[in-house]
Amino acid sequence: MNSLLVYLFLSLFLFCIGMFGLLQRRSLIAMLISVELMLNAASLNFMAFNRFLAPDPAVGQIVVLFIMGIAAAEAAIALSIILALFRKIHSINIEQARELKG
Amino acid sequence: MPVILQKAWLFLPELSYLGMALALFFISLARRPDTARTQRWALAMALVAVAAAAVAAGGEGLLFWGAYRVDLFSQVFKLILTVATALVFMICRDLSGVEDRYHPEFFMFLSTCTLGMMLMVSSVELMSLYLALELSSFSLYILVPLRAGDDIDVEAAVKYLFIGITASCVMLFGMSYLFGATHSLYLRDIVAELPLLIHQPAAVVGMLLLLSGFFFKLAVFPFHFWAPDVYQGAANQVAAYIATASKAAAVALLIRITGLTGGTNIYLTDVLIVFCVVSMCLGNLVAIVQKGIKRMLAYSTIAHAGYVLMGVLTMTAGGYAGSIFYSLAYMIMNYAAFMVVVVVAAGGRNLNISDLAGLHRRSPLLALTLMIALFSLAGIPPTAGFTAKFLVFAAAMQQGYFWLVLVGMINATVSLYYYLMVIKAAYLDEPANPQEPITLSLPMRLLNYGLILAMVYLGLWPQHFLAVCDQAVRRVLGGGA
Repeated sequence: MNSLLVYLFLSLFLFCIGMFGLLQRRSLIAMLISVELMLNAASLNFMAFNRFLAPDPAVGQIVVLFIMGIAAAEAAIALSIILALFRKIHSINIEQARELKG
Repeated sequence: MPVILQKAWLFLPELSYLGMALALFFISLARRPDTARTQRWALAMALVAVAAAAVAAGGEGLLFWGAYRVDLFSQVFKLILTVATALVFMICRDLSGVEDRYHPEFFMFLSTCTLGMMLMVSSVELMSLYLALELSSFSLYILVPLRAGDDIDVEAAVKYLFIGITASCVMLFGMSYLFGATHSLYLRDIVAELPLLIHQPAAVVGMLLLLSGFFFKLAVFPFHFWAPDVYQGAANQVAAYIATASKAAAVALLIRITGLTGGTNIYLTDVLIVFCVVSMCLGNLVAIVQKGIKRMLAYSTIAHAGYVLMGVLTMTAGGYAGSIFYSLAYMIMNYAAFMVVVVVAAGGRNLNISDLAGLHRRSPLLALTLMIALFSLAGIPPTAGFTAKFLVFAAAMQQGYFWLVLVGMINATVSLYYYLMVIKAAYLDEPANPQEPITLSLPMRLLNYGLILAMVYLGLWPQHFLAVCDQAVRRVLGGGA
């Protein structure tokens, strides 16, 4: 097993944990953390491919920097919407928000 | 002409939207924003942007170190996007569905969202594609909870946000596999490498995961859950925008990305067929039982996403051209239906189908527009919707997807039922208590006539626009992305 595969399996594992947490958890903050795990899995993938395969080693690193920026913006928007929900229903549990049938 | 001016000319539609977003930002800083004036300004700037997109329509070239490609394909979609946004601004006169103090922000986020989509249809590099997609998605996440009144808007926003960011994570993960397989983020490098790699699982999985971001935008089956709730929870104008402009951009990207594979991978086609069939059946069957007109339109959106996907999965020039035509026709007819909803729903409330009772007496013109829009959505000749459906079905038939076309036809018949129920409510049902007639201003009447004309014209004489679609598709397939 070479070291690229180790990184790929690790990031796949991270992605699956994130997906599982997103589906399993009912607290919006925990769901947000799960999403961040999935983003980090993608970043790790980019870094691993970049280190072992890519001809130009700068590309993956720049992508990861962008992902970090996007993740920060995403967290800001998600937290502000979660706060707005908290003001209305006084809870951040998704089970409490049941007006819409889905 | 100096080089910088030449490049600015290529970038003109985006620049005009960027200026518009900035101007609206400064308007939003005013202590007491005046909605009517903001709307007039926003509409004027949106019309200028439409003119800019029309002027730049013939442009062709690469910008930003080859990450951004301006060609006929992108310019056609930019024109559709700018027209759709200007049309949405036209029905924003009565913005009582959005909280008063957020009116300038409402216009600002609509313009940043359109800017994001315009950047998206032109990007030919995965990172810029992702950034543009997020710019448009983030603007929409904020637009949904701006609704005045009840609590359902924030709940819809939470749902939209979480499904959206999940889709974008999945997309990014797919992108990383494509990067691993081809060692590049430029679509022109990927298109050169991919036919050799297309039978490797990493490339196929990466491709499918990458497409999921656009499935979310288009509300195709695995990422469709948000559509009914978001349409119901968001203000009517925002729902109209999500249902028209953002679909067109998603179709553009589906064509660009699937065009990369050159139609050689049967696994990809099989998966797309499954998504297409499930979207059509699920959307149409659930739409039948809906009481709220926006929820009904949301499920019909899911079904229409299936029809568009049928054109895309043929992966032929004819199918792609049909899909572009479909997205324009869909934009016009869906906008017409939403326009009627916005005008009838005074005070920005949600309408039930039964609330339309007696509409032909309250406003014959609105009832006529609604009828033609719904006939067009159902695919009855001689409307734009019929021609669009015919084009994608014919393209699928040529590729030998007989069963797929049969399922599509059955679905089109099923959809006729719930569209006719709405027309029945508008024309035959008597309201429980008589309501006053709706008076339309002159611009609104002109808008109605224009929409009816456009739907019939595209149905009877599609060849002019179809020729443009064909040219545009050739740029994507022939020009090496």
